[in-house]
This record gives sequence, C-alpha cells and structure tokens, in this order.
Amino acid sequence: MPPEIDYEKCTGCGICREVCAEDVFFDATEKPGLEKPAVTYPEACFHCCLCVQECPAEAVSVRTPLQMHVPYK
Amino acid sequence: MKSKVVETDLLCVGGGIAGLMAAIRGRDLGVTAVIAEKGATRYSGAGRMGNDHFWCYIPEAHGDDLEAFIKECMLTQLGVMTASLGRTVVRTWLERSYEIVKLWESWGIEMKHDGKWECSGHSFPGRTMTHLKYRGHNQKPVLTEQAQRRGVTIMDRVMVFDLLGTADGVTGALAIDTRNDTFIEFRAKSVFLGTGSLGRVFPNITPALMGNNTRPFTMTGDGRAMAYRIGAELVNLEMLSRHAGVKNYSRSGQGTWAGVCRDPEGKPVGKYVDKPDPKHGDIIMEVDKQIFERYRQAGRGPVYMDCAGISADDLAYLIHGLENEGNAGLLAHLREEGVNLTKNPVEFMTYELRSQGRLQMNEKAETTVPGLYAAGDEATFGISGGAIFGWIAAENAADYIAKSSIAAAPQVRVIEEKKEFVNALQRRTQGPDWRDANLALQQTMLDYAGLIRSEALLTAGLNHLRRLKEKTQSTLRAKNRWELTRCLEVLNLYDLGELIFFAALERRESRALHNRSDYPYTDPLLNEKLLAVKRVEGEPKLEWKNTPA
Repeated sequence: MPPEIDYEKCTGCGICREVCAEDVFFDATEKPGLEKPAVTYPEACFHCCLCVQECPAEAVSVRTPLQMHVPYK
Repeated sequence: MKSKVVETDLLCVGGGIAGLMAAIRGRDLGVTAVIAEKGATRYSGAGRMGNDHFWCYIPEAHGDDLEAFIKECMLTQLGVMTASLGRTVVRTWLERSYEIVKLWESWGIEMKHDGKWECSGHSFPGRTMTHLKYRGHNQKPVLTEQAQRRGVTIMDRVMVFDLLGTADGVTGALAIDTRNDTFIEFRAKSVFLGTGSLGRVFPNITPALMGNNTRPFTMTGDGRAMAYRIGAELVNLEMLSRHAGVKNYSRSGQGTWAGVCRDPEGKPVGKYVDKPDPKHGDIIMEVDKQIFERYRQAGRGPVYMDCAGISADDLAYLIHGLENEGNAGLLAHLREEGVNLTKNPVEFMTYELRSQGRLQMNEKAETTVPGLYAAGDEATFGISGGAIFGWIAAENAADYIAKSSIAAAPQVRVIEEKKEFVNALQRRTQGPDWRDANLALQQTMLDYAGLIRSEALLTAGLNHLRRLKEKTQSTLRAKNRWELTRCLEVLNLYDLGELIFFAALERRESRALHNRSDYPYTDPLLNEKLLAVKRVEGEPKLEWKNTPA
C-alpha cells in the first residue's frame, strides 16, 4: 500500500513524516530522528507524492494500489 | 492532557490558499494573525500539488467589458458553481482577481507563460478563454513564506474542532494538537474559516482507500459543522455534485486534458471537438459530467479520453499542465504501466456524490455570524475563490477587529465540557473506531439520501442516522492522536449528514442531481431560491431565501 519505504536507503531523517498532511506515517511513540518512519495509515494517502519528491535518500516510493489502476485501450 | 491559551486578533482555521491569503492580508493591515492547520501549510490543502488554471478577469487579455466576460463564464461549469453566490459576489471576485494574479506573479508563482498572460482550458472552442493558465506547483511554499515573512504565527498539526461564541459573534475556538497531548483554546477577535471542501460524506470510488479523491482525505467540512453549531447559516446542503476524470485514480484536472472523449467505437460523445486541442480540451465533460456514468449504465461505454493525433509540443503542454495540477502521481503510474497517451486512450468516469453544502458568505466574505469570515471551498469554489476572498475577508476582518476586543469572560463551562468529551474519546477501551463510524455514515447517506430520494426513504434514513450519531457520540473510541483527529472529523460529518437529510426532505421537487421520486418535477417557484439552515435553540431551522442579488 502507498507509500513504501526502502529501509536499506532510509536514514530516518523524518522528512516524509513532516511533509505528509494526512500523517500516514503517524507513529504514536513519536521519536523523530531516532526511529525510521513507518506507514501506519495507508488508506488516508492522497497520492500527492510529496514524500517521494522530498526524500533526500530516494527511499520512498508510491505503489499505485491495484484498485486505482487506470483502464486503457 | 496539557492545555494552552493562544490570543490573537485574527485566527485563520485552515492553512490552505484561502487561510494563508487571509493571514497575509491581515498582517499587512496591522492585525495579529494565527493559522491553525491540521497538516502543514507548506504541504497541505487541495492546492498543495499546484493548479494550472486560475479563474480571473484580465482586461488586457479579456477586453474591457466585464459584463460580457461574466456572461461567457456562466456558460461553463462556473455558471453552475457560482449560481447560488449571486452576481455581486461574482462581480467582486472578478474585479479583484487581476490584483491577486499580479501579486502572485510578484511573489514568484509563475502566472505568466513565456512572459505573457496565457488563457486556456475550461472554455468552448472559438470563444473567450476564461481561465489563466499558470504554473502553481510552488504556490503553497510561496504563500507560506510570505506569511512567515510578515510574522504570521503558523501552528501546524493543529485541528480546530469547535468555535466559541454565539450567533451574535465569534470569540475564539477550541483545538487539539494532532500529534501531542495538548488542548488549545484560541481567544480571537475574529475568525476566518478556510477548511476546504466537504468530503467523506458519501462513499468514494474506492471505499477501501478513502484518500483516493479529488480533494484530500482531511477535508471533512469542519468549518461548516463548527460554524453551524454556533448559529451560522449553511446553504445548498441537499444539492449534489459529481466531478469527472480518469477512472479509478481520482484526480482534478478535467480541464487540463487535451484529448477528445470518445465511445468504444471512437465516436466523440460530445459535439464540440473531434481532434485534440490543448487550448480548450473537450468541454463536453464540463457541460455534462454525468455523461460517463450514463454511457456506462446504458451499456454504451466506456468513454475514453483519446489524445491520439496530438503533436509532440501539445503533448508536452498537456503533461506540463497535468504536473502543475497535481497529477504527477497519476502520470508516473501511467508511465510505469507503459501507457502512451498518443496511442492508448484512457478511461474516464463520473466520480462519487458530494454535497454542495457550504457556508453562506457575501461579497465581503462575511458569514451570518459577526466576526466570522469564510472563503475557498468552504464558501466559494476553487483556487481563485480561495485566494481572492481570503484576501477580501481579511480586509473586512481588520475593520471588525479595530472595533472589537477579546471576550472578557471565556465560556469556561463549554470549554471544560469539550475537553472532557475529547478525553472520553481517548479513555474508552472498547467501541467503534473512526473508520467504522465513517463507513456507516457513508452507507446510510448513499442508501437513503443518494441519487434516489423520497420522503419515506429520507425519513427512514434520518432516523437511522440519528441512532448511529447517538451511538457514535457515546461510544466512539480513539487509540491515539491520529485517530482522535479522525473521530472529531467524523463527528462533524455526522452533523452535516443529518442536515443533508433535513434539507433534502424540505426540497419537495427534483432539480439537477436531487431526485425526489415523490416529486419528480422541477418547481419553477423554487428557481433562484436557496435553502438555508441554521441552528436555533439546538434544532435545525430551514428557510427558503432568494439567491443574493
């Protein structure tokens, strides 16, 4: 489910969490910088892809859920 | 839970385009301004990913006759969208628009194309182009910076969930921090509401992914609900609208697509274009947004957006427009799937039902409650309405603030009750969560107040919704601050859902998407009438009003 984090690349800087208006990376324990973000509420994702654009480590990608795949000819 | 009190002249609820513009103008006029934003102003709101069309009147591009320009605009979707606002509001909107366009250009939002005002999209072939084509991808960071430069206090991750005051005047607001255990009381001389559109009332096209929408997931009509609760007037709740766009991947940008809408045999479904043209696109989508749904139901669909035959330059222009209109994710998906827009027509659809309910607002952006202002999707429509009336609201709020003072006696009992209610939501260890409550509401709205309505259905639905609402208020449970924020949104949605039922019962006729099977005709006596609702002694009071002049 969107977004997805590549933990090999993620440095845990937390920028993705700060840019997400829907807070899909919300973490009840909230320890910025100490923990790597996790996607806790994927269904709220608006697919704005700001987390992908702003990640300095290029660790975030957004996978389009199958339900959102666009039919074409 | 920790508590804090924040005093300000002007409180802007929502840090979208409208809220930022109101706060900026407020500071320019010497008032203190605080923005309370559920997300983060740089990255949130419907304008976060940019826009590429701005409705405005530029004399050097549109000619000197404003009335003729308005007449042309009323032929497009703007006619439907602005009908209930009245001519004075529309005229004020356009008269002030050029000033805002030039201001944005001076701040670094690219309103010009190759050094010129370029108008395109949302228009009929061969006629006046009503919208300015611009590059709005950076509009939120630019406006946030302008606000910061002027000393606006921006409080990100704060959800305002109730207003303080009465129908005789607003005195502040109550809020929670969406991440930390803090309750905030705002004491303000004036409040501006710009909380965006009203979503999550009806099921969206992918119910398991509620965030897949033309407007962000957090836009739940909060401003309308809290304004109603202190006595402000709402209008148009019973009227429905549906947007249209790419199938399954719900996005705005219908006016940006440059191809032709065709049936499976390749025949255009509209009469306006037969080849791609990025200057105006296929306006059949704007004339008739239901066309995709009707073709599907009649077995004549699907309808495709066909860009075959588009030149390389025009394709680049289209892609550029879509990127600036927040469609970067969609374009990435199409690329990943190997979709070539010049070869593969993509399917379009009519999206879910939405209520047109909004706050009643005049040309000064005043609501019916003194000191309470609104703009943007809360009260007008789209990016330019938010920008222009946010600006205008602050000018009038500044005059109001000059004659006002912070309320001497805070509503202590009300505040304590609200705080206790928020605490109770978090204390409960059993009960439905926000998701269950939200889905139950959507199911009820669709089944009883959807495209088929009647007195029997609406009455049964209203009874059920009231039981659900009572249950929700007494048992809803929040496991953390994220869920607490959602719970407060859902409670707002229940209030608004109930009002949609009341208003739909009162409108005993069929009009546009409001279909009453027991009153299948349109009542001409209700032409140019608005159904307004406000809270009087705890109950909704409905009143038919003339559309403002």
